[in-house]
Amino acid sequence: MRLSDREQDGVVVLEPKGKIMGGPDASLLHDKLYEFIEQDKKKVVIDLSQVDWMNSTGLGILISGYTTLRNTNGELKLANVTEKIQSLLTITKLVTVFEAYDTVDEAVKSFK
Amino acid sequence: MKKPMISGDTITIPSSQEYLMDVDIFIEGILRGYGADESTIADIAISVSELVNNAICHGNKSSGEKDVRISIHRSGKKISITILDEGEGFNPDEIDDPLADENLLKEAGRGIFIVRSLMDSVKISEDNSGTAITITKSLS
Repeated sequence: MRLSDREQDGVVVLEPKGKIMGGPDASLLHDKLYEFIEQDKKKVVIDLSQVDWMNSTGLGILISGYTTLRNTNGELKLANVTEKIQSLLTITKLVTVFEAYDTVDEAVKSFK
Repeated sequence: MKKPMISGDTITIPSSQEYLMDVDIFIEGILRGYGADESTIADIAISVSELVNNAICHGNKSSGEKDVRISIHRSGKKISITILDEGEGFNPDEIDDPLADENLLKEAGRGIFIVRSLMDSVKISEDNSGTAITITKSLS
């Protein structure tokens, strides 16, 4: 997995690419998320458009980020959830947890 | 230092997550050779990654002395993959229900549930040498 990040209207946008399956790749996303939390940047969108698939480790990272941000009055939202990841969110009932938007722009605007 | 070894339709890796990508490349390559569609390939790749993760971390306790062996076979339209570790096994019935409200925000504990949801069958067997989990999926 590769990971890039940017800021849009005061919102951190994380852009993982590839597969999130555990091991060193997955810790990249985890560490970057916590790097922004430590900088008090607590509005985060994860753009999943270029993630081929993720397993339960990837879902665990999303949950970890979601709960950590929520506990510090921040928020984590998802954008561009692919069909495969949407299917995983549905079967695990995590679709009821995460706020998801069709585009990054919509997700960023939702923070206002 | 041990490294992944490929022999025919089998890959053997040391018990380290750094080799997950080697397993994925091996499995996806064979599935593409079988003519599997991308959605089926993803379902199988996700399931294999879950089971190899479990074999490394829970079965072999990340011991560098122990290996995980992954074998793939095709019979007609049916794909079978067996993940074999050198651990003591586990009882899947003892795993908490990941859909229960109190477990929904837990970061771990969904692996086997996801595998069972994506695959046609999941069979677990144990003997003195380790635990073998065989998953099957039909090509559409």
